[in-house]
This record gives sequence, C-alpha cells and structure tokens, in this order.
Amino acid sequence: MSSATTDQATGRYARSMTALLRGTLRLDVWINRVYPTDFNPLYYTGGLSNLFLLTLVLSGIFLFFYYEASLGSAFASIQYLTERVPYGGVIRGVHRYAADGFIVGILLHLFRNWFTDRYLFARDNPWISGMFLLLFAGFVGVTGYQLVWDERAQLLTTLVVAMLYSIPAAGQGLVHLLLGGVGVSDTTLVRLLYLHIGPASALYAFLWWHYLRLRHPKIWPPGVWTLFCVGLVFLLAGLIPVTRDAIPPSSPAARPTHFPMDVFFMLPFWFMNILPAGGVVALLVLLFVGGLAIPYLSRRETPAQMEVRHAGVAQVVDGNCTGCELCYYDCPYNAIVMVPSPGRGLTKAAANRTLLAVVIESRCVECGICIGACPFEALELPKLMERDVLNQVSLAMQT
Amino acid sequence: MTEPTVVGFICDWSVDLKPLSEGGHLRELPHVRIIRVPCSGFVRPSWLEETLTRGAAGVFVTGCPYGDCLNREGNFLMRDRIEQLHRRLQRRKVDPARVAMLAFGLHDGPGFLAQVKAFVERIASLPAPAPARGGRPTVAQPAGASEGDAS
Repeated sequence: MSSATTDQATGRYARSMTALLRGTLRLDVWINRVYPTDFNPLYYTGGLSNLFLLTLVLSGIFLFFYYEASLGSAFASIQYLTERVPYGGVIRGVHRYAADGFIVGILLHLFRNWFTDRYLFARDNPWISGMFLLLFAGFVGVTGYQLVWDERAQLLTTLVVAMLYSIPAAGQGLVHLLLGGVGVSDTTLVRLLYLHIGPASALYAFLWWHYLRLRHPKIWPPGVWTLFCVGLVFLLAGLIPVTRDAIPPSSPAARPTHFPMDVFFMLPFWFMNILPAGGVVALLVLLFVGGLAIPYLSRRETPAQMEVRHAGVAQVVDGNCTGCELCYYDCPYNAIVMVPSPGRGLTKAAANRTLLAVVIESRCVECGICIGACPFEALELPKLMERDVLNQVSLAMQT
Repeated sequence: MTEPTVVGFICDWSVDLKPLSEGGHLRELPHVRIIRVPCSGFVRPSWLEETLTRGAAGVFVTGCPYGDCLNREGNFLMRDRIEQLHRRLQRRKVDPARVAMLAFGLHDGPGFLAQVKAFVERIASLPAPAPARGGRPTVAQPAGASEGDAS
C-alpha cells in the first residue's frame, strides 16, 4: 500500500516537473520569436551571472580603496565616496545593482537547468558547485549590506546574531567569531569586510569547480548582451541612486525596526517576521541540503522512460581506436582522456596508434556525442550500438 | 511507392514527436521515417551516407535549437559535421542537398513539419538518386547490383 502511494507521489512529482520543463521551453519559444536563438538571453544565464560577477569584482575593488572598516568611519567613508569622489556614487550603485543581477542570473540558471534535466548523471558536479555558488553569493550580499553600517546594517547584524544564536551548541561561539568579541566593535567591521571579500574570492574557486567537467563552457553572454547588461546597471545606478532610501548612519542609541528591502538578498530576514530565528536557519539549511540532494533524489523519468537517452556509458572499442583524439575534442564533459596506447590496435588504421581513448565512466552522461565524432567505429553506446542504428535504417527502408 | 523515402535522425530531446508520428514515421508524411537518437551529436556522418547508399532519397538530423542543446554542444558539432559531409558528398558526386541539419525545440512541431516538407519537396525536384546499394559505403563505393526495387 505504501509503495502505491509513493508511486503516486513520484507520479505527481514527475508530472509537475514535466509541466515545468514544457513551460520553460515554451518560454524559449516566445523569446526566440524576438531574438535569434544565438541571442536568447535564457541560453546564457550562466554567462550573464559571470558577467555580473566580473562587474561586481571591478566595482568592488574601486570601493575597497575608499572603505574604512571601523565603527566611527565606515559610514562616513562611504558617504565621502558617494558624494565627493567623482562617479563614486555611480560605482556604488553599479555594485548594488550588479549584485541583484548576479542573484537573478544565478536563480534563472538554477531553475532553468533544474527544469530541463541538465543535472542528470555526471552533471551533478556543476549542480553541487552551483549550490555552493548560490550560498556564497547570498552570504556575500548580506555582508555587503552590513558593511555600509547604517541603521539597516545595524538591524541586519542584530538579525544575523539572532539567527546564529538559535543554532544549537555552536551558536554562541559563532556569534563570538562573527563579532570578534562579546559585542559589536571595530573588529566586527574588519571581520565583515573579510567575510565580504573572502567568500567573494571563493566564488572563483567554486567557478573553477563549476567549469571543471565542461569543455568550452559558455562563460560570457553575446557581446550585445554584455553591453546591454553593463549599460542597464549603469543606467539604474544613475537613475535610482542607492542613497535614495536615505538610511541614517548606525548609532548605539538607534533602535531600528525596519529597513528598505532588497528582495534578492534579504528574503530570509523578511521570513523572520513570521518565523523564529531558528526556524529561518532551519529553512535555509533545508533549502540548501534539499538543493544538494536534487541530482540524487529527484528523477523526472525512470530509466525505462528515458529510452534512448539512457543508453549506457560510452565504451571504447579498443581494436578500432586510432588515437586520433576527435572524441576527446568533442566530448562536452571532458569525459574522454587520451592515454599512451598499451598496444597496437587491430584494424589497419589503428595499427600504429600512439594514443588510446579512455572514457571516464563517472563523467559520462550517455549523450553519445563521441560516437558521432568517431569516424573509426571505435566508440559505442552499449544499448544503442551502431549495429542497432543501421538495423533501424534498414527497417525504415523496407517498410 | 511514388514518394521517395526520407530518413530523419531526431534527437529525443528536441521536437516532440508524440503528436507528429506513429509507428516510426511522420503521420503527415508517411514516407519520412524516424530514428530517435539520444542527441543529434550521436549521429555518425557515415550513417547518413550509409542511409543514402541504402536507397533513401534524403536524410536529415534534427537537434535542439542552437544554443540550447541538452548536451551543450551536440547540435553545433552535428552542424559542423554535416557541413564536412556536404563537401565529402560533393566529391563523391552525390547532391549535398540530400543531407540536412534541422534545429527545433520541443514545442516547434509545426515549424519542424514545415521545414521537413520543404526538404522533401526540394529532394523530389532533384534528379533521381543513384539506385540503392547494399554494404558499407565508408570504405569504398561498392558497385553492386541494384536493390532499390526490393527495398
């Protein structure tokens, strides 16, 4: 009886995921009516995120040189930067809006790749690193808002401390580590500055992991989208200055109770309106762990339903491989490596080979692109061999 | 059979074949046979040649829209390989127009059908193909007896 209900549940899950897949691709159809497919922005969500990240790094380096990490001068230094330094306010705005663009890009990238099954098989590697990228990006965003040290930052710090306190056992220690003492002091801001820049640098380590199994990753959007996005960020920075909210500087006497929202970074803090701090922490942990589990627990289709798309890990036919490296160049997942050939091949073309292709099974996603690359019949998908395809051709010609 | 047989290698992820096909051929164009493949990049260009050799009037590969290949690069690679195949066919005095690369997404059924129809019409206007031959085409062009009437 329980298995029946589970079947029903997976059935409902599979149906909703299929609906989301169809919806995602339906959206593409609409966008492709406006733009040629080469310029569909949804095909470049990863590249757009990377572009925003570079914008953030460059504008952040500029901001860094003006920032003073102490309670007394943090807000003043940012005020000086915004009002006195030529274009300082614009660069600050660029940093703010590019951060929003970064999160939007990451989320679009995440949902698109989730809904279109691009996390299956060996593609859990970019998925897992992507979850860490999202986590770190969100964290960096929050510490960025804290660095300004206005009343919003003060309230944010209070909320973060409350969230940390709610963590059993480790909470008190974490608060002590974050604040650099029992209360907020100059040390706190130094730590926040590090917690802003350190994890932001770590994003590049995660990006390396993200790209590790991808050959020719699309890390930049098309040139026109680069211009558009950078232009948009500058335009927003000019039209809606970040000082519009006019948040007063933080002071020990101030007891701020609300702040202007940035939905992309402060959503967890909004949830503290309806949930206790511990609940929000639990929710975030649950989302993160759930995200990590997606490639392993969620299956839209059973292997039987995937049919030809689950034809087994590509196998090298040793006797035919000439070591020509074509499959090695074409594999989109770096799943094929060339090793020194241990012996001669059987065919004439393979007799004098010096290299042999080897498929690393844990990286193979069973797409079969290497089969199309190989002119020597030296690669096969076990459940869809060349023989099977040619049989189907014969069958098609007969009927 | 008046209509010449056309074989399509269609990526399982690209155009949705359920409403378009039955029993291995397109419903509207019964002479267009369908072979489903895991990715357009899976198709070995020699198979396309082989299909022509076995008597098909034309053969096409359908992948996802360019830029949206499930496997990132399959359709781009296949487009390049078919371009190479076109040059090779030209040298072998086979009309390259008999081999085509199409790119259509899950919801692009009507566009796909329209383009297949255009492809079929274009082939029908070409001079009759060489009669079908058996055997493997990749090594040499065997000048065997015609089996075209049988198949």
